[in-house]
Amino acid sequence: MSKASVFYDKFERHSHGEGLKGHATHYCPGCGHGLAHKYLADAIDELGIQDRTVAISPVGCSVFLYYYFDVGNSQAAHGRASVVALGHKFANPESVVISYQGDGDLASIGLAETIATAQLGAPITVIFINNAIYGMTGGQMAPTTLMGQTSSTSPAGRNQYNGQPMKMAEIIAGLDGPVYVERVALYDAKQRIKAKKAIQKGLKLQMEGRGYSFIEVLAECPTHLKMSPEETEKWVKESMEPVYPLGVKKDLTVDPWFKLNPPSFQGEKLLSLAGATYEHPVRACEGFPTHLAPHDISLKLAGSGGDGAQTAAMLIARAAINEGFDATHIPSYGPESRGGTSYADVHVAEDEVLNPGSPDPQVLIAFNAPSLAKFGPTVRKGGYVIYDSSVVTDPPVLDPSIQVFPVPFTGIATDLGKAVVKNIVALGALQAATNIFPKDTFLTAIRVALKDKCALIPLNEEAFAWGIKSVEALSN
Amino acid sequence: MALKERPKPFLLPEYCKGCGRCLDACAKDCITLSDQINPLTGLVPVELDLTNCNACGLCMDACPEPYGLRPAHEGEIQDFELEDPAKLFGVKPSDAPVPVDIPNEILPLPRTEPLVIKGTYASALGALLAGCRHVYGYPITPSTEGAELMAKFLPKLDGTFIQAVSEVATVNMMYGTAGAGLPTMTFTSSPGFSLMLEGVSYMIGAELPGVFVDIMRGGPGLGNIAPEQSDIKLACHGLGHGNTQALVLAPSTPQEMLDLTILAFELSFKYRNPVVILGDGYLGQMTGKVQLPDSMIKPGIPKWAVYGDAMHRRNLITSIFLTEADLEAHNVHLNAKYAAMQVEARSESYLCDDAEVVLIACNTPARTAKGAVQELRQQGIKAGLFRPITLWPFPVEDLKEAIRGAERMVVVEASAGQLEDEVRLALSKAGVRVFPEFESVRRMGGILPQQSEIMAQVLGKKEVRA
Repeated sequence: MSKASVFYDKFERHSHGEGLKGHATHYCPGCGHGLAHKYLADAIDELGIQDRTVAISPVGCSVFLYYYFDVGNSQAAHGRASVVALGHKFANPESVVISYQGDGDLASIGLAETIATAQLGAPITVIFINNAIYGMTGGQMAPTTLMGQTSSTSPAGRNQYNGQPMKMAEIIAGLDGPVYVERVALYDAKQRIKAKKAIQKGLKLQMEGRGYSFIEVLAECPTHLKMSPEETEKWVKESMEPVYPLGVKKDLTVDPWFKLNPPSFQGEKLLSLAGATYEHPVRACEGFPTHLAPHDISLKLAGSGGDGAQTAAMLIARAAINEGFDATHIPSYGPESRGGTSYADVHVAEDEVLNPGSPDPQVLIAFNAPSLAKFGPTVRKGGYVIYDSSVVTDPPVLDPSIQVFPVPFTGIATDLGKAVVKNIVALGALQAATNIFPKDTFLTAIRVALKDKCALIPLNEEAFAWGIKSVEALSN
Repeated sequence: MALKERPKPFLLPEYCKGCGRCLDACAKDCITLSDQINPLTGLVPVELDLTNCNACGLCMDACPEPYGLRPAHEGEIQDFELEDPAKLFGVKPSDAPVPVDIPNEILPLPRTEPLVIKGTYASALGALLAGCRHVYGYPITPSTEGAELMAKFLPKLDGTFIQAVSEVATVNMMYGTAGAGLPTMTFTSSPGFSLMLEGVSYMIGAELPGVFVDIMRGGPGLGNIAPEQSDIKLACHGLGHGNTQALVLAPSTPQEMLDLTILAFELSFKYRNPVVILGDGYLGQMTGKVQLPDSMIKPGIPKWAVYGDAMHRRNLITSIFLTEADLEAHNVHLNAKYAAMQVEARSESYLCDDAEVVLIACNTPARTAKGAVQELRQQGIKAGLFRPITLWPFPVEDLKEAIRGAERMVVVEASAGQLEDEVRLALSKAGVRVFPEFESVRRMGGILPQQSEIMAQVLGKKEVRA
């Protein structure tokens, strides 16, 4: 019952602690916030968690929570206290984080954050002060304002057009995330004892890592209800309580579960996740393939989702970079998640890719007829077009300077037993048709890409070899 | 058994607001409302007559004021007289220790082969290398791969990735983690960044670090998911309400996505301010060569943090300064910080020394412009490229140098002139009155300017757009 040491000895943040403000709250006479503050301070004191506590001040009358509590303090934007609390909790799982919010903050502007945080279930403690009115902004309708209750924005009394009051404790208790939800009041000694206990219980559940707790406090706002403090207590009891029944709404017995290890800063672990390698890949190129372009080769691979155009493009880029060149790959997709268009722009440059788009490629690999029809005419004079002759039966007429290679990507891949390797058939065809890189450059890139799926390497090597053979057969 | 003696209540009248909540609590009717106005407060405190008091304590539990009704110290009731509150309660606001910085550690990394990764992946790796283990995000194309990579990697590094309920929640989770003093970041794209701006303003006001990677896409509204550069204005001049500024970095390659993300964390903590990385949709999706650095960071905890431990107990993270003079002083302080950030201006000048035509571009259009410079040079035209790497602060001194001998200046951008506006504003603020007339190559809607369009502009030809 003594003044909890958790309050500052002097409220320096309250108008610089000048005069009486150094020891008085900014709350109006009879306001419920002061009591909730006292019980919270008592609980922090009794649980011995002052050093670990982070209190989130909301926006509303309790915006200045941090004037009073000698704990770590963080002040949040309107409605966002619960997610600010999560940010603190995950930063330091040992901290005890309290999100202290009013009805406008928690049940109106911050409703999405409130519900999502409750359902996430991470152990924080939410103290929800419901006084059925907006205090700080001066007596407007709150989401918890009662039907018929007047406010400055429901001057004739809240009616059906304003909607019904939000019963937050019941809503929160209906979620799976929380472990403990109780609604308490402050209007008499009995209720005050229950309120104290509930706040302490909420904090204890958090300390033990058992989960999220929510304590709704029916509080008095004599100023904006335009009643005396005594009348307000009576109003809470007689008018609010029937709408917001007191009591425990949810109280699960849950084993402690919230345990987070300190983050890892092992460099090698991070490098391994990133897929970094330490050994220089074997290089097979003798120089930049200047027979295709002096410094920068532009390719386009086009097909439908699932054709493997992006993987093939990635392998070309990887092969080029392994050889010490620069390369880029830009994918673009249609809006469909599956089966839509899938185009890849690839550049291979001797030093630096300057222009990564391929609006007029030198090499086109087309996996279907629409892609060939769309991009065939964009291929530069003297360029190369390789297409899947299994699915394109009626190829468009292209500039005579362009070398065209019809290769049955799908047919070969299906014969090999896996249609998905048709993109590797295409890479084999690309190698044979353009000699952009030696065979081994591609094979190294393919093997590195499949290093975690070694069993698939022989099949892919075979598909690659068939692509080459098909082009060679065309030239013969 | 003797009852343990319980203290009776004590009240300094000036700390009583006269709400009367204690009246009901007392079964012995010791407390009454008075009609005497207290001259110090203008309020009417209750009066205590403790003759019948049995020290039940319920009145103290009913008093909403921390320094209202409280247990009497020994002797207080007998010698009831007003005491100086400072003497009574002491002047020390907190016995919490004075925090000190726990510095970052730099951990060496072995040399590795270059990776072949997307821009967003590169940025994510940069964040991990910079010591970030707390990432919050909401999926939005074309930035989602960054979040996906974080969702995959962070659990393996005992870090935290939370998919928030919205971008609004995302930025406020960042506010919390940044408030605790730890590095945090998010990936987003234009509409998502718009939603985050409220929180960005709060972070700037509360002086919190945090890195926002905005992979800009076509707008306004839902627009599309193709690349644009139309958040330049937002990032440089519209970071939410109030006097807000942040360093804005504009990478142009996957390698820079990594390098500038690492730099962003450093600058973010150096200035206690968010840093924005503006990429374009191409850059986010583009795969390229990325060399990892030779060291990584294990973050410490800055002395200002609210970490939730004894050392940091006295700290407060807030953007409220209720008194006008305090808020003005805070803004003066922020302005001084923004002024100090000017030294971070960075740029790349490519063949500008003798350039008669200077192209100005950032992000992917800068790569295209570089290609155009090479092609123009091959045709005997003295062209150069000025590429701002920081869009705020704009590297205006470097620009002045780059356009010193230029007769023409062509701004190449995937927006309706937002980069040009930055250039104009920077030149104006720098007092540069004489400069070549602005020419522009602009595309919008998710279409990037093409090299051929730049060539056409420079060579004075008109080109029919596809």
